[in-house]
Amino acid sequence: MTTQDPVIVIDNFHKSYGKIQAVKGISMRVERGEIFGFLGPNGAGKTTTIRCMLDVIRPTSGTLRVLGLDAQRDKMELHRRIGYLPGDVRLPGQMTGKQIINYFSRLQGLKPVLLNDLLARFDVEIKRPLKGYSKGMRQKIGIVLAFMCDPEILILDEPTSGLDPLLQRTFNEFLLQEQQRGKTIFMSSHIMSDVEKVCQRVAVIRQGEIVTIEEVEKLRQKAGQRVVVEFGDSVSIDELSHMPGVSNVTSHNHAYHFNVGGSMDALIKALSRHEVLRLQAEEAPLEEVFLQFYEIPQAETSTPGTR
Amino acid sequence: MATISVSQSIAAPKKRARGLIITRVSFFNAKTLLAAGAFYILLIALVVGLLFPTLSSVNLGAYLTSNAVAGLVGAKLKDVSSFSALLALELYSSFYALIWGGIIAYMAGASLPATIENGTIDLALSRPISRTRYFLELWFSAVLGAIFLSLTTALSVWISALFVQNANIDWGWLAIAELIELALMFLASGIGMLFGSFLNASRAAGGAAFGIIGLAYLMNTLGTLSDKLTWMLKIEPLYYTQGIQALAEHSITNWYPAVLVVAGLICGIAGLVIFNRRDLPTT
Repeated sequence: MTTQDPVIVIDNFHKSYGKIQAVKGISMRVERGEIFGFLGPNGAGKTTTIRCMLDVIRPTSGTLRVLGLDAQRDKMELHRRIGYLPGDVRLPGQMTGKQIINYFSRLQGLKPVLLNDLLARFDVEIKRPLKGYSKGMRQKIGIVLAFMCDPEILILDEPTSGLDPLLQRTFNEFLLQEQQRGKTIFMSSHIMSDVEKVCQRVAVIRQGEIVTIEEVEKLRQKAGQRVVVEFGDSVSIDELSHMPGVSNVTSHNHAYHFNVGGSMDALIKALSRHEVLRLQAEEAPLEEVFLQFYEIPQAETSTPGTR
Repeated sequence: MATISVSQSIAAPKKRARGLIITRVSFFNAKTLLAAGAFYILLIALVVGLLFPTLSSVNLGAYLTSNAVAGLVGAKLKDVSSFSALLALELYSSFYALIWGGIIAYMAGASLPATIENGTIDLALSRPISRTRYFLELWFSAVLGAIFLSLTTALSVWISALFVQNANIDWGWLAIAELIELALMFLASGIGMLFGSFLNASRAAGGAAFGIIGLAYLMNTLGTLSDKLTWMLKIEPLYYTQGIQALAEHSITNWYPAVLVVAGLICGIAGLVIFNRRDLPTT
């Protein structure tokens, strides 16, 4: 495997549980050194895909290769180089944080070189038995377990789940630092603001199918601008809806709210025919784009892509 | 909250010996169950030792050699007047095989599903640990539990014998009786691992494995009581567990322990095959 080759290659991956098709032939590539977001609503197939990458469950058909190694056949070699954070971090209550760290470090067969940094950064308590830990504290232990042996690639399932906003920010900063150190990070999430802050590309999965794979920057461009206009004269919603690039028009407190895709120039020229008392434009939240992928039937979305 | 920058030049992590860490943690998790078993072994041995002088002055021979008692203990002894015979009845009969074997069956049955319940199995199998090693280490922890109970029994017999004048225990035959009981507990561990390989709830798997030992005891009792039901004896494991005969009468059928070991291996290997093939649940 060369440094140019994708780190994760998933080809035509299917997973069925009896008659239920959890994942329906997805394909994607994750490049070396990128933070890749894997988005989708609950039950879309994110965790199923991740657990197949780790050989905890087996694909019905298709191939999953990580670091050039087959996820099933070469799992021992592969698992030496992977850090994994499960979606729901549950730990044995009778053990202390220190014991669980020792346990998984031994299973990894490596000393936890990043342990002290991680404990300090995330303010992790490891002396008490784990049964008294809150969801957030367990999540912090999960993060420590995933990163402590300094793996080449991180597979993180809902990594910021249960973390408070301050820790979410710390975690996002940490991810970006790890990326600078050359790590490849594959993370599933449905917290879109997190994905927006750290990921270079995202794949959106819905009902077991990839809806789109796109660079976050391009999605941001697609989201366009969120515009608020207040007029001095009478303007109908219908007229506004027909202006260039305008969509999702609503009115609230004498002001009109709408999205604008593409250039603002044509819109401003169209608006100039009226008396404009107030005009406000800001980047539309990326969340709206993601929600479109979640909600619109696949036949009506943009062409599903793979890279 | 402290913010610490991760150094850009972090040394590659050094290798670390794994040891039998899965075995160790699983054994530690079963400490309450094993401690309870050890406590009752010691208690029973001490009671027999302390009460033997009184018991030996009472003529219990007719009762202890009756068909009813033979059904309960899984063997019809000719003479129960000696200390060895009384100890054999109390610690090496099929009734006690039911309890100690049941403890090991439960321990083995619960060990694998417990790691599904406490969420560590996904994390463990995402490490460079094969499913085979994971399964075998858990199985080994149950076998260690069996060895622990077996050594506790031998030690308890020795302590008990200190209270009895002229105990006349044949330590060679005691060791044979222990090995026979150990063979039964090995089978119990195999049965437990088999149930644990496909059931996701620790109590269900442990309970089901214990239930098999309980069923074997029932078959053993019925088979001993009635000549028409002797066929039952041949298909249940307690018939092949002759610890009581070894200690009380110094006689066994040589190949019977092998039946227990082979059956245990078959159950355990079947469990290993199932565990290697299955998808693991998320809960």
